[in-house]
Amino acid sequence: MSNFKHHIEVHNLSTWFGKKAILKDISCYFEDNTVTAIMGPSGCGKSTLLRTLNRLNDLVPNFRREGEVVFRGENIYDMGYSVYDLRKHIGMVFQRPNPFPMSIRENITYGPKLHGVKDEDELEKIVETSLKKAALWDEVQDDLDKPAPNLSGGQQQRLCIARALSINPPVLLADEPVSALDPISAAKIEELIVELKKDYTIILVTHNVQQAFRVSDQAAFLYLGELVEFEKTKRIIEAPADERTEAFITGRIG
Amino acid sequence: MSSRVGALFVYFRTVTQSRRHFFDFLFKFLLAIVILIVISPFFLVLIQVASIGFQQVFGSGPGQGLEFFTTFPGVGLAGGVRNAFVGTVELVVLAGGVGIPLSVFGAVYITEYTQAGWTRAIVEFTSDVLAGIPSIVFGAFGFAFLVDFLHLGMGIIAGSLTLAFMMIPTVLRTTQEALRAVPMSLREASLALGATKWSTTWNVTLRAAFPGLITGVLLAIGRVMGETAPLIFTAGNNLSVPTSLTGSGSWVASMPYTIWAYISDPREYLQAKAHGTALALMIMVLTIDVVANLVSRKVTRRLV
Ligand SMILES: Nc1ncnc2c1ncn2[C@@H]1O[C@H](COP(=O)(O)OP(=O)(O)O)[C@@H](O)[C@H]1O
Ligand SMILES: [Mg+2]
Repeated sequence: MSNFKHHIEVHNLSTWFGKKAILKDISCYFEDNTVTAIMGPSGCGKSTLLRTLNRLNDLVPNFRREGEVVFRGENIYDMGYSVYDLRKHIGMVFQRPNPFPMSIRENITYGPKLHGVKDEDELEKIVETSLKKAALWDEVQDDLDKPAPNLSGGQQQRLCIARALSINPPVLLADEPVSALDPISAAKIEELIVELKKDYTIILVTHNVQQAFRVSDQAAFLYLGELVEFEKTKRIIEAPADERTEAFITGRIG
Repeated sequence: MSSRVGALFVYFRTVTQSRRHFFDFLFKFLLAIVILIVISPFFLVLIQVASIGFQQVFGSGPGQGLEFFTTFPGVGLAGGVRNAFVGTVELVVLAGGVGIPLSVFGAVYITEYTQAGWTRAIVEFTSDVLAGIPSIVFGAFGFAFLVDFLHLGMGIIAGSLTLAFMMIPTVLRTTQEALRAVPMSLREASLALGATKWSTTWNVTLRAAFPGLITGVLLAIGRVMGETAPLIFTAGNNLSVPTSLTGSGSWVASMPYTIWAYISDPREYLQAKAHGTALALMIMVLTIDVVANLVSRKVTRRLV
């Protein structure tokens, strides 16, 4: 492997939707096998930053970007860089559970099949390991052929995590993955995220300070598209250096 | 039973005791009558058609029952309407074979691969207008363009293409609606796994839209199945089934055309056959509508 320090580094990134500037000159990196929280009030650009990392913003017609996102030493926005390859290595979990309208099994095998896994036994093994990693196996092992949309919200979200893990990406992006769930399911998924960081580099968007404190190692605080602080989570929360961060943490903005 | 009568009695006492109760009752009563008027044509038509046609479709005389569908028109009472039955099936299958892929892929292209703008607006506007055009106009167009200008001549090709033209706007629009109802985040989930746009459209978006799509297709098929006007100038008629794709051997009978031709004949047994054909056609179209309904209902339950 070539000589890069972190899986993902962001250099002087600015983005626009049409004329509206969203992210302003952001530079940061995401340390391997840790959880980095991206915090900030809603509308500050957290999702935009996350979706710039796997080029999902490319779908938005008037999206524009300057600066670089470097994944394993290569700028992912370089000409000729394969976006399919990139997304194979960077998985994503969304805010609302979005299982495909297929069976539980098909939801998991979709990704591996896309990337050329054909062997039935291997697919079967992937289904089991992915569901186990997402702590869903025990609940659904007898219902693998049932439609995924019949699962409860929390189960659906864990299925979506399992689906993202099915192609074993080193990096996992999660955009407020528990904000649409009940507290019990939310706690389960938080636990899961902590568990997963042993094997994955996780970038978690949240506007919940307590959640960031519980699960993350580093945190980035975004405010109106600016990266205000980027530090160890504990440091940021216990001794914020900027008054905007302090205002957010104490709940005065948000 | 007696408790019901009791309840009814109590109800009438309340109703007649105060003005407000009485007006409430009157209003309910009037609405019930309106509903009765609204739904009665369906039953009147069914009764009228079935009273004469039932014997043809379910009876056991010459040219009746199964024979009604399996034998070609014969002399006098003998023979059924196999020509019309087979003709309608062939016309609809061909029309669907041409019209459905064109409209589905058209809808996929316009909805998934283009941005909102002029092209999309024009396609949607023309489709909406086309969907509202009377079917006789499609018949006239089919004659002028397909039969005459393109020298296709009357027959199964011109007839089914005319029906296909009629299906396209409806299927295109319902497919579009079905695709739009698929949440964006499903597409994103697929793309985020490294899928191509095409793979996402084919395996996820279309799959999620499929029930809505199939409902639209079935309704369109049900509609063109009963159309006479588009076929009068384009399909010809035939006492047997078409034997070739061009020339007079390609002329084809259809159920609506046969109804139209037989009903205006003074011979009573032909009028009876018209009613039998009408009954059979109604049953076919109703079945398709019911299936479409079931499918769409099943879907609303299954998708978020
Ligand atoms: N597809 C889009 N087109 C135009 N503007 C967008 C789009 N997505 C987000 N925005 C705008 O970008 C800003 C940041 O949004 P987002 O990154 O979703 O914020 P957050 O996730 O922090 O709540 C918001 O003002 C939002 O209106
Ligand atoms: Mg967001």
